[in-house]
Amino acid sequence: MTQLTLGKALNAGLHQAMKSDEKVVIMGEDIGKLGGVFRITDGLLDEFGAARVIDTPLAESGIVGTAVGLAYRGYRPVVEIQFDGFVYPAFDQIVSQVAKLHYRTQGRVKMPITIRIPWAGGIGAAEHHSESPEAYFVHTAGVRVITVSNPQDAYRCLQQAIASDDPVIFFEPKRLYHHKGDVDLDAPLADAPPMGLARVVRAGTDATIITYGAMVSTALDAASAAEDEGLSLEVIDLRSISPVDYDTVAASVRRTGRVVVAHEASREAGVAAEVIASVTERCFEYLESAPLRVTGHDVPYPPAKLEKFHLPDLDRILDAVDRVLDRPNSLTGAES
Amino acid sequence: MSSQTTPITDPAQDLSLAERLVAPDGRRLSNPELDPFVADIDPARLRELHRDMVILRRLDTEGVALQRQGQLGLWAPCNGQEAAQIGTARALDPIDFVFPSYRETGVLYARGAQPGDFVRVWRGEEGAPFDPQQLRVAPLQIIIGAQTLHAVGYAMGIKHEKAREVAVTYFGDGATSQGDVNEAMVFAASYQAPVVFVCQNNHWAISEPVAVQSQFPISGRAPGFGIPSMRVDGNDVLACMAAMRWALAHARDGKGPAFIEAVTYRMGPHTTSDDPTRYRDPEELDSWKSRDPIARVEAYLRGLGEIDDEQIAAAHADADAAAREMRAECLGMVTRKPLAVFDEVYAEPHSGIDRQRDEYAAYLSTFEEA
Amino acid sequence: MIQEFHLPDLGEGLTDAEVVQWLVSPGDTVTLNQTLAEVETAKAVVELPSPYDGTVTALHAEAGATVEVGAPLIAFEVGADSPAERASDAGGATDTAEAADEKTPPNLVGYGAAPSSKSRPARRARRGVAASTSVDTAVLEAAPHDVLPDVPATPRRDERPRSTPPVRAHAKRLGVDLVLIAAEAGDRVITRQDVDAYAERVGATTNAAELQQETPMAAVIGDQEARETRFPIRGVRKHTAAAMVQSAFTAPHVTTFHTVDVTATMDLIASLRADRSLAEHRIGPLVIVAKAVCLALRRTPGLSSRWDDAAGEIVQPHYVDLGIAAATERGLIVPNIRDADRMTVTELADAVADLTQTARSGKTSPADLAGGTFSITNIGVFGIDAGTPILPPGQSGILAVGAVRRMPWEHRGEIALRQVMTLSLSFDHRVVDGAEGARFVKDVADILEEPGRAMLLG
Repeated sequence: MTQLTLGKALNAGLHQAMKSDEKVVIMGEDIGKLGGVFRITDGLLDEFGAARVIDTPLAESGIVGTAVGLAYRGYRPVVEIQFDGFVYPAFDQIVSQVAKLHYRTQGRVKMPITIRIPWAGGIGAAEHHSESPEAYFVHTAGVRVITVSNPQDAYRCLQQAIASDDPVIFFEPKRLYHHKGDVDLDAPLADAPPMGLARVVRAGTDATIITYGAMVSTALDAASAAEDEGLSLEVIDLRSISPVDYDTVAASVRRTGRVVVAHEASREAGVAAEVIASVTERCFEYLESAPLRVTGHDVPYPPAKLEKFHLPDLDRILDAVDRVLDRPNSLTGAES
Repeated sequence: MSSQTTPITDPAQDLSLAERLVAPDGRRLSNPELDPFVADIDPARLRELHRDMVILRRLDTEGVALQRQGQLGLWAPCNGQEAAQIGTARALDPIDFVFPSYRETGVLYARGAQPGDFVRVWRGEEGAPFDPQQLRVAPLQIIIGAQTLHAVGYAMGIKHEKAREVAVTYFGDGATSQGDVNEAMVFAASYQAPVVFVCQNNHWAISEPVAVQSQFPISGRAPGFGIPSMRVDGNDVLACMAAMRWALAHARDGKGPAFIEAVTYRMGPHTTSDDPTRYRDPEELDSWKSRDPIARVEAYLRGLGEIDDEQIAAAHADADAAAREMRAECLGMVTRKPLAVFDEVYAEPHSGIDRQRDEYAAYLSTFEEA
Repeated sequence: MIQEFHLPDLGEGLTDAEVVQWLVSPGDTVTLNQTLAEVETAKAVVELPSPYDGTVTALHAEAGATVEVGAPLIAFEVGADSPAERASDAGGATDTAEAADEKTPPNLVGYGAAPSSKSRPARRARRGVAASTSVDTAVLEAAPHDVLPDVPATPRRDERPRSTPPVRAHAKRLGVDLVLIAAEAGDRVITRQDVDAYAERVGATTNAAELQQETPMAAVIGDQEARETRFPIRGVRKHTAAAMVQSAFTAPHVTTFHTVDVTATMDLIASLRADRSLAEHRIGPLVIVAKAVCLALRRTPGLSSRWDDAAGEIVQPHYVDLGIAAATERGLIVPNIRDADRMTVTELADAVADLTQTARSGKTSPADLAGGTFSITNIGVFGIDAGTPILPPGQSGILAVGAVRRMPWEHRGEIALRQVMTLSLSFDHRVVDGAEGARFVKDVADILEEPGRAMLLG
């Protein structure tokens, strides 16, 4: 086991992927000499050369569009969109081209493109640097959406995403880029669990918290704090939010009967809404109370000083847990 | 190569400054830049080009008819653009890869599309007309200009492998306003990718005249990106071929991208849903009739004594046969079964779609046979 | 033969067109694609090319008339080798060969508005469902329903009881714990009827005053000045009470007592505890008793049989599902260890520990509470020696295990302080006679007195 930051784990994953398959090329703004604004692609230019590590012009639609052309030619492009808020110019190429070409051509043209996006907030960043646009892509048939919450998953899932013949939007929680964790660099990829699987990161019996990305560690913190109150909370890291591994989720809900879904992204028509609709369909008779969402508010991402009032934190999650457990909570007041 | 430095908006003047080898009345003109590129084109070859254009026009007319008869949902006619499409497409190497828009029936034809391929998408049976890897043509592109980026990416791959192939992309005058087309030229020039941009300036983007897109000749834009360009008479099949050969050689020899603006005219509507009488001057249409590409090359060949009525009739007979084949293919298409809706969304197994397919299959099984 | 041509959708969603002028008349011979008419749509004036070679037989609309998309426009007499004939032979998916029929969709290919139908909107015909205005539930039940496969076949140990929110709310109002109903309902979704039936049996009511959560007696703060305090009867206590009543007044209980020198067993336990390899298994007296019970039941299976009045049979299972009584916050429950007779001592130890932990955290599932062929109740933890336990319903034997005490006892002809424990066996005298009951207790006692004797019982 090696201790790596999430950023370094991604770097290692890219390195492995490029080593294993010469058709893997990475492209994006500032990813070559600079090694990326977050240094995720650090060292790769020296190792693999400018033909495979491509600094692109400042044009997101152009980056994704040319990646489409490279995919036509049989390459496996890994695109970096510099920040979540900058993905929108590329939205048309992603939704109208990348997502549809396999289907349109009945599989004759494959789009094994991975689009890496530094994602979400919590770092007090400037405008447009803290977005959570994943719902747009979850809603887009034809692409898969993967999120990672820890260095081991970052290392492994990125390689799996690149190896997949399907296009993958790969969200990396930027606030965890510098967080360390154990990574098994030697475990063969072939032995790894499939990319689409969710993981129960903490077992519990009283309620299930379903989440992904940086919110996983917030949920784990909430579960720890809840122990002091005698609560046993189960935390699931979805990892794949399109498709969602409902087998794992449903098994948990059948055990606990109580559900809280948490994400940074805003509430309306977000991923939590989808998960809850699906969970309700599948587990209605097991639910002891209505499943609840803990999300960002339906506001444009607020300025840095107000960020902490927008992002779900330990207390908001536990308030929702109290609600699903019929304990005193913010809606009922201090007394039951 | 040419580029104007002053804005021009008069079509008549436009054309006199475009590269040309055959005048509208059929006279052969000398053009020192282009002549060498078509020195090998003998009358036999010219007759073939003529026949190609006759067949193309006939297929195009049949497409319109089929739509009017309810057999196709839509058709995008290319009437008037035969020379631009056949001339350029016949210059391609089989190994080259084309990224068209949705109006390049002539290009598909030249690349060897089968009769059904022309109608399969417009009839709504499938999303792509043929196997792109086989025909070396990407599927039709309705998102204006998106295909230009794909061509550039493809060309970047070619360059990476040091191969002698060229990626070619076709688009219209309207498309040149789209960000993607401009980004494509940025990328192409930055990487010196072996890609040829073919803009068919047919003067109209639905109801918007080209002056709305640009006050300046479109070919004048490319050099601004660092890409050499040529403005050619799009109704002169010989000049189009020559220009394309120049551009392809440029790219193939590793000199980077090239741009051609073929100045032509969209004689018909934008699509079968459009009514050009609402926005076009009938006089303008008439003036372009006198520049007809097929009549031009016919006049040229007649002037050389290299085509007679019999040969022309034979070309038309071939055209009628091709149209009949296309019609038969169209009418004979069998729509896929309902569950085909779920096919090939993903390359790899996908739990979400598998479940939806199963649920829908169960739902369908509740009905009596349709 | 006559071919009808219906007005197609000429431009992405158009609904009708006006015939501007006809360029042909009935009797005219027309060729494929020859212009038949000019029609004006909302978007444009378009020419209609003939779909066939043939002769015009009829024009269905006059110049100036508006025709709806999908309505018949013109009829032709076509030859046998017309494209329309060939198309219908080829089984084409087009509608040009359809006879004029109001319900037939127009010549469309996925585009265009549906023709406005004169008839009422109706559902597509389904298998096994008669088209009727009223809903026949019995018939609908027969039709294949959803294929959502997530419901497991047998209830998982750790899963919540299955019910729906309104029923849960109803149960809560009645003070009924669904876990207890699920023990009987099994894997079925608990219905409102289940809750009502259960509530009636245990005497629950929808008294508005009972809308609070069930509270253990200790938490009720009564008025200290009053001469009495009233505790609502609900929940586990209610259920347990009902079970006891049923058992006590159905099965004739006989209790047999036997005091046993268990010093050897305690020595064994001590040496097992000293063994590092067994450190993670908590082997205590209860576990040894459980093992002894399982072995003894082989010789006296009547103790784990049950009286099935309805079938007129005594049912003797070939397994032992051993119940271990546990006192929880909610009251007394008796969860079971499945196939305890097949377990080794260490496995039994783990099962008992697991069961106790689960019961303490209130997570015992309905599946755990169901079944049971023999039970053990450890009254020794309260420091007492003996009792007359009441049989759990459906069981014929229950063994109460008293405290282990140091007492003067006869040992090798002398008086010595030995560790001594009393076993109290209650049994159902319908199923078990005195001799069998005594033999069972003796067998258990013999093992506890001399653990090696377990080898005689296999």
